[in-house]
Amino acid sequence: MSTPELVTVTVDDREIRIPKGTGLIETALACGVEIPVFCYEPRLGAPVGACRMCLCEVEGMPKLQAACTMTAQDALVLRTAQTSEKAAEGQRAILEFILLNHPLDCPDCDKGGECPLQDLTFRWGPGNTRMHFPKRTFDKPIPISPVISLDRERCILCYRCTRFSEGVAEDMQLVARNRGAQSIIATFEDEPYRAHFSGNVTELCPVGALLPATYRFRARPWEIDNVPTVCGLCPVGCNVWATTREGKVARILSRNHPEVDDGWLCDKGRFTFDHLRADDRIKQPLKRVRRRGFDPVAWEEAAEEAARGLGEAEGSVVVAFSGGETNEQAGALARLARQGLGSNAAIVPDDLDPAVDGFRAPLAAIRDAEVCVVLGDEPVVDRAPVVDLWLRAARRAGADVITIHPAGSIGVSPGSAAHVARSLAEPGTAPPEFRELADQLRDTQRVALVWSGDDHDRGRRAAALAAALGLGEGSGLYVLPRTPNGRGVSSAWRAAGEGRGEEPPEDGEIGALIVSGDEAGYDPRVARLSERARFVLTTAMFMGDHTLWSHLVLPGTSYLERDGTVVNLEGRAQRQRRAVDPPFPDELEFFAEVGERLGLPVSPRPDEPSPALQAELPPRSRPGALSEPAPPPSPNGTGPGLELVTYRSLFSGPGVERVEPLAFQRPRAELELSFADADDRGISTGDAVLVVGADGVGRELTARVNRRLRAGVVRVADEHADGFARHVEVGKV
Amino acid sequence: MPESDLYREIQRVADRYPVRRSAIMPALHLAQGKHGWLSPDALREVADALDLSPAYCQAVASFYDMYHLEPVGRHTVEVCTNISCALVGAQQVLEAFEEELGVHAGETTEDGEITLRTIECLGGCGWGTVVAVDHRYREPVKPEDVPGILEELRGG
Amino acid sequence: MAKGPRQLLLEHADERDLTKLSEYEAVGGYESLRKALDMEPGAIVEELLASNIRGRGGAGFPMGRKASFLPKPDQATKPIYLTVNADESEPGTFKDREIMFRVPHALIEGAVITCYAIGAETAFIYLRGEYYTEFEIMRAALEEAQKAGYVGAAVAGSGASVTIVIHRGAGAYICGEETALLESLEGKRGQPRSKPPFPAISGVYASPTLINNVETVATVPDIIELGGAEYAKLGVENSAGTRVFSLSGNVVRGGNYELELGTPLRSLIYDIGGGIPDGRELKAVIPGGSSVPVLAANEVDAPLDFDSMANLGTFLGSGAVIVIDDRACMVQLGLRVAQFYMHESCGKCTPCREGTRWMVQILKKLEEGRAEQGELDLLLNVCDRILGNCLCPLGDAAAMPVASYVAKFRDEYQRHIEEGGCPFGAESSLAGVMAPVDQHHAHMRSQIEVPVHEFA
Ligand SMILES: Cc1cc2nc3c(=O)[nH]c(=O)nc-3n(C[C@H](O)[C@H](O)[C@H](O)COP(=O)(O)O)c2cc1C
Ligand code: SF4
Ligand code: FES
Repeated sequence: MSTPELVTVTVDDREIRIPKGTGLIETALACGVEIPVFCYEPRLGAPVGACRMCLCEVEGMPKLQAACTMTAQDALVLRTAQTSEKAAEGQRAILEFILLNHPLDCPDCDKGGECPLQDLTFRWGPGNTRMHFPKRTFDKPIPISPVISLDRERCILCYRCTRFSEGVAEDMQLVARNRGAQSIIATFEDEPYRAHFSGNVTELCPVGALLPATYRFRARPWEIDNVPTVCGLCPVGCNVWATTREGKVARILSRNHPEVDDGWLCDKGRFTFDHLRADDRIKQPLKRVRRRGFDPVAWEEAAEEAARGLGEAEGSVVVAFSGGETNEQAGALARLARQGLGSNAAIVPDDLDPAVDGFRAPLAAIRDAEVCVVLGDEPVVDRAPVVDLWLRAARRAGADVITIHPAGSIGVSPGSAAHVARSLAEPGTAPPEFRELADQLRDTQRVALVWSGDDHDRGRRAAALAAALGLGEGSGLYVLPRTPNGRGVSSAWRAAGEGRGEEPPEDGEIGALIVSGDEAGYDPRVARLSERARFVLTTAMFMGDHTLWSHLVLPGTSYLERDGTVVNLEGRAQRQRRAVDPPFPDELEFFAEVGERLGLPVSPRPDEPSPALQAELPPRSRPGALSEPAPPPSPNGTGPGLELVTYRSLFSGPGVERVEPLAFQRPRAELELSFADADDRGISTGDAVLVVGADGVGRELTARVNRRLRAGVVRVADEHADGFARHVEVGKV
Repeated sequence: MPESDLYREIQRVADRYPVRRSAIMPALHLAQGKHGWLSPDALREVADALDLSPAYCQAVASFYDMYHLEPVGRHTVEVCTNISCALVGAQQVLEAFEEELGVHAGETTEDGEITLRTIECLGGCGWGTVVAVDHRYREPVKPEDVPGILEELRGG
Repeated sequence: MAKGPRQLLLEHADERDLTKLSEYEAVGGYESLRKALDMEPGAIVEELLASNIRGRGGAGFPMGRKASFLPKPDQATKPIYLTVNADESEPGTFKDREIMFRVPHALIEGAVITCYAIGAETAFIYLRGEYYTEFEIMRAALEEAQKAGYVGAAVAGSGASVTIVIHRGAGAYICGEETALLESLEGKRGQPRSKPPFPAISGVYASPTLINNVETVATVPDIIELGGAEYAKLGVENSAGTRVFSLSGNVVRGGNYELELGTPLRSLIYDIGGGIPDGRELKAVIPGGSSVPVLAANEVDAPLDFDSMANLGTFLGSGAVIVIDDRACMVQLGLRVAQFYMHESCGKCTPCREGTRWMVQILKKLEEGRAEQGELDLLLNVCDRILGNCLCPLGDAAAMPVASYVAKFRDEYQRHIEEGGCPFGAESSLAGVMAPVDQHHAHMRSQIEVPVHEFA
C-alpha cells in the first residue's frame, strides 16, 4: 500500500499534518479537540450526519457543517464550538432539540453515569428548558426481546441501532417505523429481536433507550469493576470486559480488538454469565457411593481418591478434553497424563495440523479480501459468529463472497466440502463451475478461505487447497475449530509428550478416563469409553448424563473464573483474566494437588504471559512438507427421501442452555426445506410436517421454506434431529 | 408451497431494476392492491418475494402515507386541506363529507365501505378544493357537490 | 419590453391532444431527438450550458453545469443514470402534473435526449404516487414511444439505447428532495443523504446520476430546437426561458400559465389570473411554493425571476404562486404550513424532526390565544435554530416562511396574544383547517403509543 498523502488542517487555530481523508472528528481529536457526536460511529459504515451534534464552522462555507461527514483536505480550516460562537450556538441548538422530548430521568436510568447524552448535557447543556409542552410519551420500557429492553422516550433517534441491524449484522430486524416526529424504533409486529448479534445495540445506543434487560437495576457505575478478558465460548476469542459487582458477573461488554472482533459480540458471549449461578451447578466434589448416587466429599478426600484411581490405572489412562480449557489447564493435565501416568491416549477436539499456520492472517483481513470462499456445512455464524460479520463486511466492501454448502451460493450436497476442495486444488477434471472458481482464485491477490465443517482432515485439506491456490500475503486461511480453545489445547497436549500421541484404544478395559469439562462429557465417544473405564474422573460445572457414569466428579469453572491463555482460530494467543473467584479451588489447583500425591510436578499457576502474547498474531509459520490429506470421505450416497444436514446452533451447550433469558434464541423445532421440495409436497412455512428417519423414527417439526437450500436437502438443528439418519421422508401432517 | 401470483408479479417488477430492492415500493403497491391493506401477512409475502425481512418492509411502508398499515374501507375519499385548497374552502368540503358519512377524518364508515381522510397538497391547487376519490381527482369540489360524489361512489 | 405569456412547452397543447404520439409528431415532436442524435453528446451539454436554463424543481441550479459534473461516459467506472424528479409535492405546485397530463412525450423526448447527452442508458421517472391518472398517461405514452422506436435499444435507428422506468412514489413530500428520492428509488425509507458526495458523483446505486425536474427535462427538446443561445435570449438575465407558473389560492382563474421569466407578478395575478374574487383585497402572495418567504401586497410589482425574488428576500422556488386575500389569518397560515412540514419531516435529523413539532406546538398555542409574549420570541428563536442546521433544506422550508409571516404580519401575531384569541374569530378563511397530523393524533394513537408486551 502506498503511504497516504499528508495534508495540513487547522482545528481551532491548531495546525496538524494528517493523512488526507481522515475524518474530521478524528482530525480534531488528534489536535486535542473533542467534537461531540451521537450518530457518528465509523464501524456502522459511512457517516449519516443525522443528529447534527457535531456542527462546526468550516472556513469558506456559509452554513455550519456536520463535521462527522467531512474529511481532512488540504488547507481546511475548522472551528469548533470552542472557538466559534456560531458553532457554539449551533451546538446549543441541537442539544436543546435533542433534550426536547427526552425525559431526563437520569436518576433511575441504568445508563446514568455511563451516558454520552448525560455527559454532554452536563458539559454544554442549558441549565433549564424552554419546552413547556407535553413531551412525547410511550409505554416503557418494552422488551424488544427477553434480553433487551427499549425505552422509546429516551431514544434520540440517532439510528445507530437500526444501522447496525441493517448494515452490520444485516438481520434487518430492528428498524425505524413511521416518519418524522412519530418515528420509533421497533421490531416487526413487536416480535422479539431474534438474531445472533442483537445485544450489540445495547452498547451502541448512546442513551438509555436500549439496555440489556439482564442488567436492569443490577448495578450503578460506581459500584462496578470492569475486568478485561477474552470470551471463552467460541474460537473467535472476542475481547471483552466482564463487569462485576460484589463478586458477581453482571454484564459482558465488548473491548474492541480491531483485528479480531471490531468491537462486536455475539449474544452468546454477551449474555452467557448467569449460568455461573445456576441451581444445578456443582459446587463440591462428589463421589459415587451407590450405582446411581453421589455423596459430597471433602477436597482432601477427593484428591486422595483421584490419586488412587489414576495410580491404579497403571498407564492405561485416556484424557478427554473439551477444548474450552486454558492452555495452562490443558498443559497441566497433559503433563499429568503423559509424563506422570505414562499414558499417551487422548481425545483432542480440534487438533489442527501446523500447516494451517502457514496461511495465518488476522480475521480483519477477511474484510479486505477480494474474494471469500466459505466451505462446509456448518453455518459460520453458529460456529464462529464474528467471522460471519467479517464476511458480511467483505461483501459490503465489494468482495465476492462465495459460499459452498447446501444453502450456499453454490449449492452442493451435504458433506461435499472435501470433494470441492479437491476439485478446486486440482481443477483439471472438476465440474466447470469449480474450474472457473479455481481460475478466479488463482488470479486474485487477496483471498479469504474459510472452512466451516468437520471434514477438513485436521486442516490438512484446507492447507493443501491454500497451497494449491498459492495464497500469499494478504490472503488467509481460516479453519474454524469446533471448540473455543481446541487449538491451544491440542498444542498443549502435543507439547507435553511425543507429538500427538495415540487415539484411545478401540476396545478392552481402560484403567482410567479423565473427562475434562462439560463439553467433553457430551461427546458420544467419551460416553462409550466411560463404559469401559474402571475409574472415571470428571470435572464439570453441571450434573448431566456424563456425570452419572463418573466415579468422581469435581466442580468445574467457567472461563470467567480462570486465569490463563487461550488460542483462537487465527492461532492468536490471548489472555483470559479471572473476573470473579470460583467458589472452590479451580481445576489447576486440584490437578496440582493430585500430581503432588502421585509425586508428579504440575505447576498450579501459569507464568504471567508476556504482554505481546495478548494481542499479536504470531507470524506465519514456514510451510513444512505438507502430508497428504486423507481421501475425502465417501459421499452420502443416494437413499430414499431427502438428504438431511444438521448443524450445531450457537445457542446450544451446557452453559448457554442454562441462561434462561436466552432460551428464545435456541433453535426452533423446525425443518428447513427447499422451495422445490416444499412445492412438491404442498408444504408452506409454518405447516406441521412429519419427518421419518430410515429407522422409522418419526417426529413432528414445523416447516420453514428456505429458498436458498438446494433441492433434495433438508436441514434441522442438531438438537431436533435426534435419531434421524442421513435420509428422511418428509410429509405434511 | 405453491408460488403465489403476487410472488410472480413482484419478480417481474423486480427485473426492471438493476438492484432488486428497488422493487419494494411497486411490490408494496401490488400487495396493497391485492389485500386492500398491508397486513402483517401481506408484508411477509413482500419480504419473501424480495428476500427482505418483514420488519424492513414495514419500516419502508410506514414511511409513506399511501400504504395502509391498518384496514381501510373499500373506497377512500381524501380531501386536500393544504393552504391553496384551504384558502378556498377545503374545511367546508371536509365538513360536508364528515356530515354525510357520519365519520371524522381518519375514520371508516361503520359498514366498512368508505374511509375519509385529509391529505396534504394533492397538486391541483389552482382548482381547489381537490378531492381524491379512490385515487381519481375531482376538482374543484364545493360542499354542495359532496352528496352527488357519495351517491356515485355508493352506487358504483 | 414587458414579459408575458410565451408558450414553448405547452405550445399546441390547447388545440391538440398531444398525449397521442401522432399528434405530438404532427407538431414537430421527436424532431429534436433526431437532431440531437446527429450531434455529439458533448455538444448537447454545450447547448444546455449556453441556454442558461436553471432547474425548475426549486433550487434553480443551472442544468448544463450539473450535467457537466458527471464523469464523461468513457471515464465512468459505473453506469450513469438519469433520474427525473416527478414527485411534485410542494404545496401550491401542480405544473409537472400539467406537463405529464398534456405533453407526456415532451418529457420522454427530453429524457431520451438527456440520456444520450450524458451517456446514460437508463432513466428513472420518480412519479408522485398520488398522480395515478398521470401515471397511466405516462405509461401509455411510453409504450407508444417504445413501439415507435424512440425509446429502447437503438433509439430512432441510432446506436444509442435508452430504457425508461417509471417508479411510483407512495406519499412522502421529502422524496422530492433529490437524495431522499434516490434512497426511495433504491427501496429504502426516503430519507435524505448527507452531501457530499453529490449525486453526479455517487447517486442511485452509488453511480453517477443526473437529477432534474420534469419541467427542466421537458424543456430540453425546445432548447435543442431553438439552439441554446436562442433560448437564452428568452426571459431576463440570470433567468432564461419560460416557466410554467402554478397560480392558486384566492384568485379568479387559478391554473398553470407558461410565461417568460421576468413577467411581473402583478400581471400574473391580475391580467392572467383575473384578480382577487368576491371583491376582497390582496393581502399577501407566496411566490414559489409554500416553503418560501411571503411577499406583502405592496411587493407584487416585482418581476418573476430568480434575482428579483432574491432581492425581496424570497425565492422563485417551484414557481407556485399562492394568492392570499384579506380573510386569511396569518397565524393559522403559519400553523397550517408548519403542520405540513412537521408531517413531512423524514425524522432523520434532530433539528427538523424536533423543531417542526415544537413550532407546531407553539403556533397552536398562539392561534388559540393562550400564548404569552415570550412565546412569540421563542417561536422566532426556534425557527432560527432550525435554519441552516438541518441535513436537508426541509427544515429551512418550515422555518423560513413562518419567520417571514411573523416578520411581515407581526401585528396579527401580537393581537392573538393581546386579545387572547384570533381577531378573525370564525371568519378567517383558514379557520378550523385540519391537517393530516391532527388526524394521526386523533385516530391513530396506536402508532404513537405502543403497548407493552411480555415475552413470557
Ligand atoms: C424538501 C424538498 C422537496 C423537494 N421537492 C421537489 C419536487 O417535488 N420536485 C422537484 O423537481 N424538485 C424538488 N426539490 C428539489 C430537488 O431536490 C432538486 O433540486 C431538483 O429535483 C433538481 O432538479 P432541477 O435542477 O431540474 O430543478 C425538493 C427539494 C427539497 C429540499
Ligand atoms: S434506540 Fe438508541 S440507538 Fe436507536 S435510534 Fe434511539 S437513541 Fe439511537
Ligand atoms: S455526529 Fe455528526 S451528525 Fe451526528
